[in-house]
Amino acid sequence: MELEKEIFKDGMPKGYYTQDDNGKYILDTNHCWSEEVCVAAIVSEVRANIENARKEVIAGLKSPLCYHMAVRQMDVKFLARAAGIAVFRVKRHMRPEIFAKLKSSVLDRYAVALAVTPEELKTVPDSEA
Amino acid sequence: MATELKANGKPFVHYHAAHCESGVTSALLRDKGMDISEPMVFGIGSGIFFGYLPFMKMTGLPISTFRAAPGSIFHKTAKRLGAEFVTKKFRNPQKGMDELKQVLKTGQIVGMTTNMYWLPYLSERFRWNFLGHNIIALRETDGVFRISDSMLEHPIDCPVADLERARFAPGPANPHGYMYYLKSVNPRPDLRNASIKGMKSTCFMMLNIPMPIFGVRGMRFLAKKVIKSPDKLGFDEACRQLVGLIRWVEEVGTGGGGFRYMYAAFLQEAAQLFGSGELADLSKEMNAIGDSWRAFSVTAARIVKQRNKEKETFAKAGGLMLICAGREENFFKDLGKVVGKLKT
Repeated sequence: MELEKEIFKDGMPKGYYTQDDNGKYILDTNHCWSEEVCVAAIVSEVRANIENARKEVIAGLKSPLCYHMAVRQMDVKFLARAAGIAVFRVKRHMRPEIFAKLKSSVLDRYAVALAVTPEELKTVPDSEA
Repeated sequence: MATELKANGKPFVHYHAAHCESGVTSALLRDKGMDISEPMVFGIGSGIFFGYLPFMKMTGLPISTFRAAPGSIFHKTAKRLGAEFVTKKFRNPQKGMDELKQVLKTGQIVGMTTNMYWLPYLSERFRWNFLGHNIIALRETDGVFRISDSMLEHPIDCPVADLERARFAPGPANPHGYMYYLKSVNPRPDLRNASIKGMKSTCFMMLNIPMPIFGVRGMRFLAKKVIKSPDKLGFDEACRQLVGLIRWVEEVGTGGGGFRYMYAAFLQEAAQLFGSGELADLSKEMNAIGDSWRAFSVTAARIVKQRNKEKETFAKAGGLMLICAGREENFFKDLGKVVGKLKT
């Protein structure tokens, strides 16, 4: 409930067409309630994905690549296209022991696709952002 | 509404708009001296549509679009109003940015397609990998572009590096720095002829595309899927898909009700242009269809929030979609008949 009101207080209202008293269409900035629900659901899902990925990386189940992919709201297919690496390889690189052995040339491609530095790519933040 | 200076020192008036592409197109036309509103552009460019694309996914959710393909509104409007325009795509990001700077220096304003996620000035709720957001570049000073984003109320700044990233976002459906601008416009545009062409092509797209995923048939196809979804996918996943659907109806700059209110506004303007009472009646009917889309989105939101579980079910949401489909089928058949009688 809190989140729904909070994310709409960013000072960026969008326009919606409504009729004024004379039946003429004007642009208004009042949004519909369903939009709040939908945006809040999506934003909280993205945040939960990022947090899950971070915890899994710290627990040693996934590679940091997984976290950075979640931050950029990508999935494996998307990342594979963006970095120009085959899907099955990207899936393998999600395993920490294989990610640790990657060559720097491969890491650079991921870094460019995710817009992070190669050093950042190997780490995840310690606390929740 | 806010006034801003272009690169050649002349003023540019920024208007708030509901939808990015029709907003950008009307701003480009207005800048060339043609007084045209956003709904008019939306109608002439045949913006209204429906398509359900289950095989194309954006962040794991299928696309169900309520408007025509990105880029087509600008293309069709400019053609139908007799304007000369230039569109460009680039392989090399550096070349794309250089070209943009050069065109801006000549006093042109340039429309661009970008990926929404990489635009730094937007807040968190807008930032997802949507690869068809249209913005206008006004001028460049010291590595910062002045951007007129018709979705926002005021012009805004954007650093060069971020804009380059947004224009050349790696991944599927890379916009490849797509940019477009008008060279000249017809001083006496034939609005009546253009509106008739726009409405005719809309009727065709909504009723006669021989594929079950487009137009009115697509709505019915999706409605049946929504009704079955909780049994097939489980409640949580079905809710996720439904949230994705609400986003396409209400959130992606639709002007409310899946663009239906904007189209009603166009029909109202067209009714004044032609002096036609039938078009005015159709505008009211379109408004009512917009209301039923809104009723659908509210029902869907109640399902997601699990309010009043007995009454608000997936079957009800799907039923509302079927009602919308039936009404729209009648609407576009009527519109086709009315347009046939109009004279240019």
